[in-house]
Amino acid sequence: MGGPVWVTAVNLVIWTGLVLWLLRLDRRIRELEREP
Amino acid sequence: MAAVIWAAFHWAPLAAGFKGESSRILFFHVPMAWVSFVAFMTAGVQSARYLFGSRTPQDAQLDRSAAAAVEIGLVFATLATVTGAIWARIMWGSYWNWDPRQSGIVVVLLYYAAYEALRQAIADEEVRARLSAAYGVLGLVVSPFLYFVLPRLGFSLHPEPVINAQGKMEVEARMLTVLLASSSGFTVLFYWMHSLRCRLGAIAARRLEEEN
Amino acid sequence: MSSNWAAEAAAVFAKDWRCELRTRHAVATLALFAVTTLVVASLVLGPVGNEPARAAQIVPVLVWLILLFAAASGLPRAFVHEEESRTAIALRLAGRPSAVFAGKLAHVVTLVAALEAIVAPLAVVLFDLRVADGFAFAAALGAGGLAIAAATTLLPAIVAQGRGASTLFAVIALPVLLPALALAVAASRAALVGIAGGDELTLLLLYDGAVVVAGFLLFPAIWNP
Repeated sequence: MGGPVWVTAVNLVIWTGLVLWLLRLDRRIRELEREP
Repeated sequence: MAAVIWAAFHWAPLAAGFKGESSRILFFHVPMAWVSFVAFMTAGVQSARYLFGSRTPQDAQLDRSAAAAVEIGLVFATLATVTGAIWARIMWGSYWNWDPRQSGIVVVLLYYAAYEALRQAIADEEVRARLSAAYGVLGLVVSPFLYFVLPRLGFSLHPEPVINAQGKMEVEARMLTVLLASSSGFTVLFYWMHSLRCRLGAIAARRLEEEN
Repeated sequence: MSSNWAAEAAAVFAKDWRCELRTRHAVATLALFAVTTLVVASLVLGPVGNEPARAAQIVPVLVWLILLFAAASGLPRAFVHEEESRTAIALRLAGRPSAVFAGKLAHVVTLVAALEAIVAPLAVVLFDLRVADGFAFAAALGAGGLAIAAATTLLPAIVAQGRGASTLFAVIALPVLLPALALAVAASRAALVGIAGGDELTLLLLYDGAVVVAGFLLFPAIWNP
């Protein structure tokens, strides 16, 4: 399947990507909510 | 932030895996399956509150909440099925065996895909909310059977069970810790996604109102 | 107050059966489907009962599939027909939702029981089945039949108000019925062979109970505009 390094790298990429994406979504939604 | 803490937990799977490299995938597979169950239970509870709570303006929000929970639950359930199939391939050589647990999650997928189909089929908002809520509450009864009873029963159906996936409990403490950490992380992820989805739905609804 | 409820439920039950006996639509569809499939299966399989092990593998699954599909094709029309022919409105005024549900459920239960009364003996004869525990076999049939009845009473009510009702019904009914069917097949198989099927039967009855209770809880919300 892949050595520890490889697995760590995949994990890092997926999770940081996911978190950043969700944070961006959150920011965008907050802007939309601010509009009257 | 909670999200960062949970992200940190996922480094742990790399440290504690005892079995072959391949079974590390369990640290994703099991929590995702569990979270999909949580998602569908949430949908059921929100549906029940919609149907049986007193009529207030927050009604529509409950309906949106239930629908959002089902959507996200479907995502997690699909991922759980896929990761399960990958693990099955590595451990036992084939992706699919109609192992009772695999069958259970497939039926769950069918059940909530039907939920989505039901919502598509009804145009009137209020009728749609009411009927899908009823179906969602029924899911509270059906899901536990599919997730927990059917897999255990299945061994008497098949002449010789090909797989005993997750039939035994993880006894090794470190694995358990990681599993729990991973599960809580995924749960946090679910609630975060769910609240985002609900807010998005509320905005869309408000937009629709403003147009009319 | 409660005697009124029973009277309402009985009235719905009687009305459904009166309509049914007039058209004999459901009974005919059920019987036709079930008997035809059984005969075809018997032609192909022969008297499998002679090899009990093989029969235990095949026949329970076959019988339950036949029961399921017969019910799925013959029963859901009831609600759709009500909505289409506008009698639904009259029905909504005539009685409390839970009474309507009880009456309709009783009607479908008797229909399924009648279906099983045809299918089970026929299967035993055609396949030359040796049933080790007749009582357990009947119990499995009853419990599984109740599940089919509950699902085909409750679910059509949900889909009747949407588009594409009959396809949607099939999509929805399968996931709900699969646990029940799996349990019923297991219990039937155990009864045929003579091993203990008590666990499966208990679970099946539990599932039945839960679905019926859910039905009573949910029906008012589904039924009332």
